[in-house]
Amino acid sequence: MNKILDVIEGKQNYAVFPIVGADHCARLLNLNFSEVANDGRKLAEVLEYGYNLYGYDMVLVFSDPYVEAQAMGCQIEYTPYPTIITAKTDKRFDRIPVIIEATRILKQKLDTPIFVSIKGPFSLAAFLIGIDKFLKILVKDTTAAIEAIDQALEFQKKYLSKLLAIGVNIFLGDPLASASVISPDMFEKFAYPPLRVLIDEIKDKRMIAGIHICGDTIPIIPMLDSLKADILSIEDIRPKTKTIKMGGVSTQTILHGTKAKIRAEAHMALEQAPIILATSCDVPPETNPESIKEMTRNAQ
Amino acid sequence: MDLDKIKKAIIDMDDGAVKTLVETALKEKISAQEILQNSLIAGMKEVGRLFSEQVYFVPEVLLASEAFYIGFNIISPLIKPQQGKSKAKVVMCVIEGDIHDIGKNIVKVMIEAAGYEVIDLGRNVAVKRIVDAVEKEKPDVLAMSSLMTTTMMSMTEVIKELDKMGLRKNLKIIVGGAPLNQEFCDQIGADGYGCDAQEAVQLIEELIK
Ligand code: B12
Repeated sequence: MNKILDVIEGKQNYAVFPIVGADHCARLLNLNFSEVANDGRKLAEVLEYGYNLYGYDMVLVFSDPYVEAQAMGCQIEYTPYPTIITAKTDKRFDRIPVIIEATRILKQKLDTPIFVSIKGPFSLAAFLIGIDKFLKILVKDTTAAIEAIDQALEFQKKYLSKLLAIGVNIFLGDPLASASVISPDMFEKFAYPPLRVLIDEIKDKRMIAGIHICGDTIPIIPMLDSLKADILSIEDIRPKTKTIKMGGVSTQTILHGTKAKIRAEAHMALEQAPIILATSCDVPPETNPESIKEMTRNAQ
Repeated sequence: MDLDKIKKAIIDMDDGAVKTLVETALKEKISAQEILQNSLIAGMKEVGRLFSEQVYFVPEVLLASEAFYIGFNIISPLIKPQQGKSKAKVVMCVIEGDIHDIGKNIVKVMIEAAGYEVIDLGRNVAVKRIVDAVEKEKPDVLAMSSLMTTTMMSMTEVIKELDKMGLRKNLKIIVGGAPLNQEFCDQIGADGYGCDAQEAVQLIEELIK
């Protein structure tokens, strides 16, 4: 069953996926997160548990945003969820095999579209250089910035081809490309070109390509549309888009809101069908399962 | 020398020019206080305005801040104690569990540019460390930032703890960050909420009057 594809192809009006990642699922099972993030079988197990519990329309293989950065030498810390603490060093720690293993297991076991979350090269480059420094060189040393982005892109091309060989769909998350952080001109110059390359490769293999950027995206909607991805997962879903939108329930509402508020936001989103009803960003780990069930119920 | 040149160098994010111009201004016997007020602070105010109007984005603000600090560090030792006496002392932090500090850093420069002394505890700061800092530093204002719904609740704990220890008498607490709003501020018993760096400065100005 692939309701997500049906929405993209215009055969269905809506599908639902509260952006549930491994952190929330691990918490439900009382598992230590760093264990899950470092073990492909456990990662698959917790994600499968979330899928069976909530019955949404896809699975996202997502542990945290730092898998690639860490494989390239950034250091991370578990507090208890991963946080990035340094720019690129010589000490690489590769969790990509963990993601690949989990992806293979889920793909084989579940009859639902599997997506893997990977980073946009712009944000990955920011992690490699250090975020503040990177943002500054976008203005002062564009050659160095582009060099870092190219390095990130090369890495992502290889990672992507391994994932596409398994036959799964891809979500590209690019948090620092948000208009809350950089200007539309910078987006066009630095973030857009590498996204374009990766999306073309995904489309080439006939898999579904999604983009996820939170914060303000209003000024960059036309550019996002022209990337020709299949899904645009954004925080503010009010603007009209050519690409199928995904979103609707804010992360604040899913965490603290009443059932009535969750329902209201979900209904408002569904009025914009065709849409994939989702949270505006990943569901906070502490979220009450009843709230996620409430949200999911509204689109089943 | 025309102090507008320094202001313009800040707006243009030209740290090299700020350095030379401030040094020239000092040689021409323009007072440090005047340079601070009429060029450095004036420049950052304009940068704040450009940011809130989405002409400038985070990269430009970070670079302009760097230029500001180049000038500020040259003149700050020259500002006579009573004349340059900080208008108030502000302790700032991003709450525990939260590493989003881009916004906090922008608020920090604007507060500093407005002439206040800022003690920056950084990001991901535990409740106890915040309370200890308030006890030790006795600031006029505590400014807390949070970008996540999951972490903003620990602001409540900080406030409760400060109340319990009787540390709130001469302290104003202000809060900010994307998921917060006035309602949340009232609910947790903070003294003020600001949606951006300019509001943060206005809030402090009003609260410590
Ligand atoms: C950039 C970004 C990041 C960067 C942060 C880099 C850094 N060093 O700060 C990176 C990529 C590392 C990141 C990581 C994560 N992020 Co993030 N991120 C963002 C994003 C896109 C923009 C934030 C930003 O910098 N804005 C620009 C600055 C200038 O604005 P600002 O911070 O709001 O500050 C202004 C005002 O709020 C105000 N202000 C700020 N502080 C204060 C204080 C006072 C006293 C006052 C008066 C005013 C004030 O003035 C500032 C200047 O105008 C937001 C989206 C959003 N809607 O905000 C998500 C967002 C904050 N992230 C989010 C999440 C979930 C995460 C992660 C947990 C993702 C993950 N699964 O791992 C991680 C881990 C973070 C952690 N443990 O802390 C969520 C939080 C959701 C929630 N639970 O509430 C958001 C809201 C996205 C979303 N839609 O859900 N993120």
